[in-house]
Amino acid sequence: MSVAELKERHAAATETVNALRERLKQKRLSLLDTDGMWILEIFYFIAGYARSQARTPVSFGPTDLVCCRTLQGHTGKVYSLDWTQEKNRIVSASQDGRLIVWNALTSQKIHAIKLPCAWVMTCAFSPTGQSVACGGLDSVCSIFNLNSPMDKDGYSPVSKMLSGHKGYVSSCQYVPDEDTHLITSSGDQTCVLWDITTGLRTSVFGGEFQSGHTADVLSVSINGSNSRMFVSGSCDATARLWDTRVASRAVRTFHGHEGDVNTVRFFPDGNRFGTGSDDGTCRLFDIRTGHQLQVYYQQHGDNDVPHVTSIAFSISGRLLFAGYSNGDCFVWDTLLAKVVLNLGSLQNSHEGRISCLGLSADGSALCTGSWDTNLKIWAFGGHRRVV
Amino acid sequence: MSSVEASGVDDGTEYSFAVEYSGPPITYDLPRAVPINVERIPVAAVVAQVSLCDKLSLPVVQPLLAPDPRSRKFSRELKMLSSETTTVVSPTSVIAFDRSNESRGDSKELELGSEATVSPSSVTAFEERDTANQGCVLSGELSSSGALEFSNGRYGSGELSDVANSSRALGSSSISHERSRELLRRAGSSSTIEFCDSFDKSLGSSMELRVSNGRRKESLDSNNYLNQADWVSNESVLSFDYPSSRVSSMKVVDCKTEANCDVRRMPVVTFRDLESDDSFFGQGTQEEPETMPVKRVCQSKGKKGSCYRCFKGNRFTEKEVCIVCDAKYCSNCVLRAMGSMPEGRKCVPCIGFTIDESKRGSLGKCSRMLKRLLNDLEVRQIMRAEKFCEANQLPPEYVCVNGQPLSHEELVMLQTCPNPPKKLKPGNYWYDKVSGLWGKLAGVQCAGNPHFWVNDDGSYQEEGQKNTRGYIWGKAGTKLACALLSLPVPSKFSNSCGEQVSNQFNRTLPDYLEQRTLQKLLLIGFNGSGASTIFKQAKILYKAIPFSGEEQENIKLKIQSNLYGYFGIILEGRERFEEEALIELKNKHSSSIIDPSGNVVDNDNKTIYSIGPRPKAFSDWLLKNMVSGNLEAIFPAATREYAPLVEELWSNSAIQATYSRRSELEMLPSVASYFLERAVSILRTDYEPSNLDILNAEGVTSSNGLACVDFSFSPSAPDDDIDAADQNDSLLRYQLIKVHARGLGENCKWLEMFEDVGMVIFCVALSDYDQFYDDGSGSITNKMMQSRKLFESIVNHPTFDQMDFLLILNKFDLLEEKIERVPLTQCDWFDDFHPVISPFRSSSNSTSSNNSPSVGQLAFHYIAVKFKRLYSSLTGRKLYVSLVKGLEPESVDLALKYAREILKWDEERANFNLSEHSIYSTEGSPFSP
Repeated sequence: MSVAELKERHAAATETVNALRERLKQKRLSLLDTDGMWILEIFYFIAGYARSQARTPVSFGPTDLVCCRTLQGHTGKVYSLDWTQEKNRIVSASQDGRLIVWNALTSQKIHAIKLPCAWVMTCAFSPTGQSVACGGLDSVCSIFNLNSPMDKDGYSPVSKMLSGHKGYVSSCQYVPDEDTHLITSSGDQTCVLWDITTGLRTSVFGGEFQSGHTADVLSVSINGSNSRMFVSGSCDATARLWDTRVASRAVRTFHGHEGDVNTVRFFPDGNRFGTGSDDGTCRLFDIRTGHQLQVYYQQHGDNDVPHVTSIAFSISGRLLFAGYSNGDCFVWDTLLAKVVLNLGSLQNSHEGRISCLGLSADGSALCTGSWDTNLKIWAFGGHRRVV
Repeated sequence: MSSVEASGVDDGTEYSFAVEYSGPPITYDLPRAVPINVERIPVAAVVAQVSLCDKLSLPVVQPLLAPDPRSRKFSRELKMLSSETTTVVSPTSVIAFDRSNESRGDSKELELGSEATVSPSSVTAFEERDTANQGCVLSGELSSSGALEFSNGRYGSGELSDVANSSRALGSSSISHERSRELLRRAGSSSTIEFCDSFDKSLGSSMELRVSNGRRKESLDSNNYLNQADWVSNESVLSFDYPSSRVSSMKVVDCKTEANCDVRRMPVVTFRDLESDDSFFGQGTQEEPETMPVKRVCQSKGKKGSCYRCFKGNRFTEKEVCIVCDAKYCSNCVLRAMGSMPEGRKCVPCIGFTIDESKRGSLGKCSRMLKRLLNDLEVRQIMRAEKFCEANQLPPEYVCVNGQPLSHEELVMLQTCPNPPKKLKPGNYWYDKVSGLWGKLAGVQCAGNPHFWVNDDGSYQEEGQKNTRGYIWGKAGTKLACALLSLPVPSKFSNSCGEQVSNQFNRTLPDYLEQRTLQKLLLIGFNGSGASTIFKQAKILYKAIPFSGEEQENIKLKIQSNLYGYFGIILEGRERFEEEALIELKNKHSSSIIDPSGNVVDNDNKTIYSIGPRPKAFSDWLLKNMVSGNLEAIFPAATREYAPLVEELWSNSAIQATYSRRSELEMLPSVASYFLERAVSILRTDYEPSNLDILNAEGVTSSNGLACVDFSFSPSAPDDDIDAADQNDSLLRYQLIKVHARGLGENCKWLEMFEDVGMVIFCVALSDYDQFYDDGSGSITNKMMQSRKLFESIVNHPTFDQMDFLLILNKFDLLEEKIERVPLTQCDWFDDFHPVISPFRSSSNSTSSNNSPSVGQLAFHYIAVKFKRLYSSLTGRKLYVSLVKGLEPESVDLALKYAREILKWDEERANFNLSEHSIYSTEGSPFSP
């Protein structure tokens, strides 16, 4: 078979694939159209609910949400943070090659862990708060026990290395209430459920299987009310819902975004999840119907649309916090899709891109991490109760 | 103690003063004066004036013992000196005036046989001075002993009571004795110490205690001891300040602390320690020899504000100040007093001494006077010398970081780091190694009202601070309150978590030394471009131990299991070839011989690819494992067991026959033959992979992640011209970060993590032009085109906007070999490659001796230009290209050194741009291309 012949074949095959893809798109659109009325119904229901339940949209005074702590100590861009379940501890991962565990109340550093590979992208606290996990470009998810002493070089011994990914580890999260299981997402287009005690893969989601992601997976989020379900966001502009018992195929695939899905986060009730994407939008999807419920998009004057880097829901779900690559951090009213507040415009806000954010377990404080190397803790400064 | 003059102690009067005592040594207890007024309790000691000059090491002084033995010892010591000492004691003590001190003073006088002046206590402003001393002053002789005195008639009790304590004064006078002894022995110098107290109840009376140790007229060396404070008139309060600052400067010598002009506190500390804890003094003096050279202090005999040399002028005439001794010279004298100023503005005797820390800020800042006196060039040279000469540098032990003085190396490192602290001043600093933050320790902890946080164990901390401020359970008040209110008290304190952590932080303190200049080089290459070979080569080249024992073991296992993999491929090939051969055989049989029975076929079933049953079983087992995909899991353990079998298999003729047809086995990588030919030795248990083995091995560096290695170019490297800059280079460290192209993802999302790298090294295999790559989805692309695509996407990435790129064209050896067989035009991008080939070129030997380049070289240049054009069309800048043979250490070394040169040039270019008067502008230069 000559090269010319090969090329010809390739061109033909590409054409076919493109044609099929187009047909798929058409089909999907038409499906959405037929369902349109129904979606609208849901939307009206939500809006009506919003009107009845909260006649006035959420409004914040200037002092309602204030930056009450600045956690300084990293010397590189902060890429990830996570809160503990119980205590007010935060672990943060930065490009200076360190994990720092903070006491959020006193802003003290409790642990500083020097990583063997400085290019860390994600970190997570175990549910018991005894260990932290992190992953990055070394394609390994490392577990550190916080109780083990450091060796003479200042390195904490890695208590477990979860190796097996063929690409960078972009995100990791412990399965709630289990210190022994962890889900990671990776640049090799897969998500993996790990058994930490053995250090082996329990199941691999995606990859060679057909219904997996077709590009790098950037984020995972485990359903808080049903820890068997988790959702993943990927560079293929989709989010997928997975059941840990069924690794072979995704339960559902959520289309809608026009750019890489950088972040996914389950809604507190576990029936919805939010996504944030490079197209500058955040979306709310329903896992039962598989439909998109809401789009959160702020019109920008110029063409440069800031990417959504990270999102988090308030404990009631009424507020959606979204960090943007231009340093903005919007607080959205999830029901009305209105921006309530921009933390980026407040006093002593971050100077760089907001790369990660997270809400404390009791919902009383928000922590944001930024490329300006700092983390900031935001809490209600007034007398209001947390919504 | 031959002649001790009687000291008249009048117990009945309020005053006590010294009278000559000629009787036998006192046997009775001398009565002590009792403090009368609480308000008069002194809190600070009398100031002392010490002028020191020594280039020699200070002798270690024995620690002083109890007061009484001390006085005896003193007199002995002083006897040894056999020097003339004038001691003027006018004790007017009401407060704790120790009798023994008095007698000590007396004995000193008497033994030295000098005149003792007894001053009545009611005398105000005691101004007695040795005539000889004055003579010295008047004659302008350099070695005159100055007298510092200050008394205060009017402010006596109010102002001075806190600094004056006669017993302490004597204590300090004992220092001066010690000191003067040292001085006299060594330099023959003189010093004058005066102590002046005034704390009489009756206002206006003053006491002067003058201990003048030795008017050393014979000490005609150049050292000049001028007491600045001498001309200070008695009645001014100002006069009080001078000696006190002198005390603090003496303190520097004593205690090795920074020059601290804390007027009040320091003397108190010193003298209290001296009296109450004698061992302190011992320690203090023992440390003295380390603080060489000590500070010099100058005294002027002229009137206030006059020049120190000609004694003319007043305080308004313009003067230049010596940065060591604070001597001021008018414009006529300055050049004579300071000479050629090899270390900046220091008077000649001060050269070689450390500067006065309070003048550090003015280093290198020229005065108007100097500018007028000297020409521009001289001024610049002097200011340069002042700033950079060794004696004027900040002594490292003055900089305390986290309670520990820096060593010399640490200070050098600190000042050569990429971001050195500007205007480093002596002092106590804190440094947080985790955050990298640092600052000066201040007395105050926190502005405003800090919040306190109480831990479980009762320790409490300030908000945001690391150190524990205290334990609530350790406080008496808490215990009392708990007892009163019958609150529960913890039985024992559990070990606090916070403390543990702080220990951990302290332990790894020298970590900040790591933050030296580190240049990062990002090495990216498409699959099979040889980037990992270059990475391994760098490791072998620049690391003393390229691979640790564990790594070595892993590499060994990797090579061995790779080898089994190659075997598997061969065995698979063998089966295929056997089948093909059998079919062929059958066809041959069926066509040539018509045989009804199957016997013949059975007989002829053996081809050259057939193997015996035992190897066959092994081969089947191996293939089965390969299919199930757990080859790696099995083989490290099985290596030893199966090594003989493999050996047997390898020598099998069928395998050899298959191996000879290896070009037909697509799966078999080209390096496989390298290993297969060494199969027998590799599979031995005592096999140690050689460097070449490691370089050839696949998958040794983490194939899917990222690998980095820190190294520095060794200065002893061959063919590296040794110049001054290279010395510096050994300090510079480089980090080579290898990133796998597959890990990059589609849109290189995380390249922004590498925004701090100094340069991107992009690796392309020259031999890729006829190779095809299957990206998994069935589409096949030329590998060279794939490389080009990756190159474009990385060059266009916003993170690498202004980044330098070095293109490494790797595998030139393969290209040279291949280009003879396969034309370069195989790749679409290179379809216009039509080299002009010299007809005289010998076809086989490409490295011809004549000047005409080989096709390989032509192709290299052609490809390099292609990439360069592509790069400049994308960025408008220049692409650096280097030719490398990955397996040859020298060529990799050259390429990485080239990268270093580019980085260096970048730094220098920045310097050129910064300097305003640069005459080396690259713009408009006729030589610029």
